[in-house]
Amino acid sequence: MNKGTAERVAPPPLVAAGRQRRLIAGDRVFEVIAYGAAALILLIAIVFVIALFIPALPAITTFGLGFFISRTWDPVRTQFGALPAIYGTLVTSAIALVIAFPIGLGAALFLAEDSRLRFLRGPLSFAIELLAGIPSVVVGLWAFYILTPLMRDSVDPFLSHTLGFLPLFQGSASGYGFLTAGVVLAIMVLPIMIALSRDVIRAVPRALREASLALGATNAETIWSVILPYARVGITGAVLLSLGRALGETIAVTMVIGNRPQITGSLFASGYTLPSVIANEFTEAVGNVYLGALFYLGVVLVLITIAVNVMARLLVWRFTSEATAG
Amino acid sequence: MVTGSSRRKRTKMRRAPLGAAAGAVLLLAACGGTPTGTNPSTGGAGMPTPPAAQLTGAGATFPQPFYDAARFAYNKKFSQVTVNYQGVGSGGGINQLTKKIVDFGASDVPLKASEAAAMGGSDKVVQIASTLGTVSMAYNLDGVADGQLKLTPATIAGIFLGKITKWNDAALAADNSGVSLPNQDIRVVHRSDGSGTTYIFTDYLSNVSADWKAKTGGPGKSISWPVGDGAQGNAGVATRVTQTPGAIGYVELAYVLQTKMKQAALKNHDGTFVIPSAAGATAAANAFAGTTPSNFSIVNAPGKNSAPISGYSWIILYKDQGDKTKGTALVDFLYWLTTAEGQQYAVNLHYAALPTTMASYDLTTLKTVTSGGSALLSVS
Repeated sequence: MNKGTAERVAPPPLVAAGRQRRLIAGDRVFEVIAYGAAALILLIAIVFVIALFIPALPAITTFGLGFFISRTWDPVRTQFGALPAIYGTLVTSAIALVIAFPIGLGAALFLAEDSRLRFLRGPLSFAIELLAGIPSVVVGLWAFYILTPLMRDSVDPFLSHTLGFLPLFQGSASGYGFLTAGVVLAIMVLPIMIALSRDVIRAVPRALREASLALGATNAETIWSVILPYARVGITGAVLLSLGRALGETIAVTMVIGNRPQITGSLFASGYTLPSVIANEFTEAVGNVYLGALFYLGVVLVLITIAVNVMARLLVWRFTSEATAG
Repeated sequence: MVTGSSRRKRTKMRRAPLGAAAGAVLLLAACGGTPTGTNPSTGGAGMPTPPAAQLTGAGATFPQPFYDAARFAYNKKFSQVTVNYQGVGSGGGINQLTKKIVDFGASDVPLKASEAAAMGGSDKVVQIASTLGTVSMAYNLDGVADGQLKLTPATIAGIFLGKITKWNDAALAADNSGVSLPNQDIRVVHRSDGSGTTYIFTDYLSNVSADWKAKTGGPGKSISWPVGDGAQGNAGVATRVTQTPGAIGYVELAYVLQTKMKQAALKNHDGTFVIPSAAGATAAANAFAGTTPSNFSIVNAPGKNSAPISGYSWIILYKDQGDKTKGTALVDFLYWLTTAEGQQYAVNLHYAALPTTMASYDLTTLKTVTSGGSALLSVS
């Protein structure tokens, strides 16, 4: 804002006086439009939150905060609790990040750094953009028909054979469940993870990189002790943005998670996520409390998303202040 | 900096959407114009000729293919009437009718008392049965052919309660002598979305199994399932069963026939094993002559040929129609829908035809619909 005022006071000398007045008038109009747009965004956000809360009220008054810890989801007896859906949402998103983080970071380093296989960068970038452009319902369709049989017949038996001593990989595998949903989400968040990390790594000052190499560090040492530490703020941001995408993803997850509201240790088991419950049940949700419970789930999802965003801000803020202090 | 030429370009661009909007309005007028100006068609013998009107309905997805086929046929017969239908789900249909956004609602289950109360009381609305469907048990078992698996009320309830977990369970083997049932996990698949199909199926289970009723609290469009995974829509369940070895699920008959899945023979009330069929649904409906919206369940019907897991689909409208012309067109259309002429579109799509008792109940009901105190339907 201050900058704008300064420019208005001291215009470029080459502009004629009449023209300048017109420009100032234009500035005013622009200012009004910009303020209006900003106010509109705020208004939309407020209206949205209110519109989400009001239909949720019957369920909020009925179940209160117990909604967050109840495991029951019984439309017949109108008893509702969000815990299995919250659990499913967090677990599938966590699986997605565990898979997508190393792959995404590796691909981003490859794209941003010098390498002998530089000629592969073009095709890889293209593939990532292609992946980012696939609508989620198409990913879901592919997962439903191709990924689930693959998980059931190959991946799940392999995991249970090699890592079966962990409770995570025990139990009978149907191909649907937390793990499959997590893999699908990983595929969907990879493009964001790669693109953002790549941009962050590219933004590392050339001088730092060259200084490190000049001091005799190898490429790997440079990446490990100069580039990654420098870029970690941005990479954290990329991870959290990916998390945001994973939390809200609906249709592809609904198609493969098995839609069963339960909490179990096994990743082969079926589960449920917040968006899936809403997408599945809103059409036939009759009665204020039932429909209210779905809106309440929406409120929970928004709260989780806000929490992730706040966490992202805090982390970024801490890292940046550390960086300036150091 | 804004130069002259770019400003001209902008005005041109500003004009373009206006032009497009005007085009769209013209197009809408061309599409939506119900009274075409040509002679309105007249009905055949006994079929009332409706006045020009545009009707809107919303609700259940289960009967949607039937309603779509029927409304196109009706518009062909009576070009002065267009009927729109949105398959938004029964809940959505009831909601929209309560807010009077639509002229009629469609639901797989008649109104509950609380829902009728929201519409001004049960004496302010009428409900007619529009069609009849039946549910099959589809399975995926190697070496067991279509129709070879026999299921009884007890084994179906046992499987969906999670008490029978293996295909070679003694209870299943007892009914299936001569069939080699594998030592394989049973994978139960049910609907994840709220649906009338689920209502009919859980109505059946509550009817045949006290255990089931106690555990789940009775029938519902969405319920808390003791066991199994959810898949979306009839198509979703059908695909999951086809894909998963050892799976079993309940699917609307039409989907089973269209996708050529294997379905089980079901033991009905009389103890005969029947393969669910449209004729079996009609037989089941005939076994309950006094069916009304308040007493609508026809599951586990007596009769040798009755398909045990059957149910009606319903259309809901206000008894007092504010707009006389629209109201007349509405009852004329709904009457036509319940006659043999309208029902043929249901039969073509593997729904069952309404039994004559139900069709005459519908007629009596439609005759009670009024506008300004005078009845709207005039058929003998």
